[in-house]
Amino acid sequence: MTVTRVVLVEDDPDDKDMFFSFFSSRKDLKLLPAMANGVELMEYLQNLRADEPLPDLIILDQNMPMMNGRQTLTFLKANERFANIIAVIYSTYADSNLITECKKLGAAMVAVKPITEEGYQKMMDNFLQLVRKGGSPA
Amino acid sequence: MGPQSSTRALQAEVDALKQQLEEANDTLDAIRSGQIDALVVKGEDGHALYTLRSADHTYRIFVEEMTEGAVTLNSTGLILFSNAQFAAMVRQPLSEVLGCPFIDFVATADRPLFGRVLLAAWQDSAKREEVLLCDTDSLPVQLSLKVLTFDGDKTLSVIITDLTQQKKTEAELKNKNEQLETLNNALLSSNHDLQQFASVASHDLQEPLRKIQVFSNFLQERSYHLLPDSSKHFVEKIISASNRMKTLIVDILTYSRLSANDAAPEVVDLRILVEEIIDDFDLKIVERNAVIEVGELPAVEGNRGQLRQVFYNLLSNALKFSTADRVPYISITAKAVHAVELGVALLNEEEYCHITVRDNGIGFDEKFADAIFGLFEKLHHKSTFEGSGIGLAIAKKIIDKHHGLILAKSIPGEGSAFSIILPLKQTNLR
Repeated sequence: MTVTRVVLVEDDPDDKDMFFSFFSSRKDLKLLPAMANGVELMEYLQNLRADEPLPDLIILDQNMPMMNGRQTLTFLKANERFANIIAVIYSTYADSNLITECKKLGAAMVAVKPITEEGYQKMMDNFLQLVRKGGSPA
Repeated sequence: MGPQSSTRALQAEVDALKQQLEEANDTLDAIRSGQIDALVVKGEDGHALYTLRSADHTYRIFVEEMTEGAVTLNSTGLILFSNAQFAAMVRQPLSEVLGCPFIDFVATADRPLFGRVLLAAWQDSAKREEVLLCDTDSLPVQLSLKVLTFDGDKTLSVIITDLTQQKKTEAELKNKNEQLETLNNALLSSNHDLQQFASVASHDLQEPLRKIQVFSNFLQERSYHLLPDSSKHFVEKIISASNRMKTLIVDILTYSRLSANDAAPEVVDLRILVEEIIDDFDLKIVERNAVIEVGELPAVEGNRGQLRQVFYNLLSNALKFSTADRVPYISITAKAVHAVELGVALLNEEEYCHITVRDNGIGFDEKFADAIFGLFEKLHHKSTFEGSGIGLAIAKKIIDKHHGLILAKSIPGEGSAFSIILPLKQTNLR
């Protein structure tokens, strides 16, 4: 089974806890340490040694201090080394403006944060499908 | 007297007669061109004065009586003629005005301008220009200059129009326009603030609300069996209340965003639109055994997403407010109407459609027929019928934006009918 290396970028401690409680038991995922915002992710990625593997999937919260989801997306896509990592946005609320903007910036998917465990699992299944396809949405 | 001297005498006589003839011709020309209005003729009883009472006289009076100033300038810019009105404009006696250079009456600051205008007027014949007269108590005037030619002699006639009143009106108008612009900007910014507020408030409200939803769901999914029966009920209450809150917030956001985006209208086939919505309601329709009939519906110009919302909200209401004791029957029909038949012209468009969405549900008291389109207006108790009370307000706002009308009629216990009148085209605006 291929194991997908996932980074969550999320400032909300509750959402972070939920994420780990739902996904730490999944065998198809390797959960990398979570980042509290885009700046932390940027530092983490830039400090990876050349022989260390990059994450396969980056899940970005939209609303974060210092560097929000869209800004982080812009950084990732502008950097040759990270541009091919599948990056998705998940947010409490997504209106058509946010969706179009994130898509334009290169988000593989824009998802509304689920409110049930079942919803979380479905969301992750969707993300993993995109990773397998290499980023182009169905 | 020899023949030579008589020839010379005859020659002299001819010359004298020629001169007389020339003088007479000159006089005639002068009379014809209006250069003189009186003649002094040497007669047998000394000099006699003849004045001319011709068509010219009328014009002379006309020029004297008119409210504009009128002057004639010679080639050096001296005033040869002035009417009384011009003298009054420069507050001088007429006698002081005649023979003066016109430029003396122009305000110092405008003299270079007047010099150029004068020069141009001599060349192009006709000119208009605004200048100030007099340095103290200056008077804004418009000069209309025209070159008149009499036998190769050129004069410049100048009509001077007092612009005081016009300037005053212009200034007032400008002032009013500025006030209007300030107000308009204030209104725009307050509108913008309001939208921002609704949007930010709704976004920020959603974060904590989602937590309530998430954790109450967990409580129900994981620990429900541990709760005493008396508390299980509370969990359900929390879940249903937070779900209702979610609906409210999303609807407020939708409503506030309606004012913001204005896409260009497209052609929307209402029949296709309504059938799509009916597909969305499939489950509810089956659940309630509802019968929905869709008649011939036209294609109209408009915002597809917004029109979809109108029919979605109306159908949702029709299904929601059905009665338990009879099969819900909903019909959506349309007929073509003209502005004349409607008795209303909402824009420069003649062709409208009148769409009726009718149901046999619980209905409402018609005294609330206007109120139901207000924000958060709910006629029915929330425990019986869920919803935010924004659906019809959104529908009305959308129809308003499409230059249409939405009206409600009902008989309590028998059903309601919503009428939508929409122009077929949005392009004939203004």
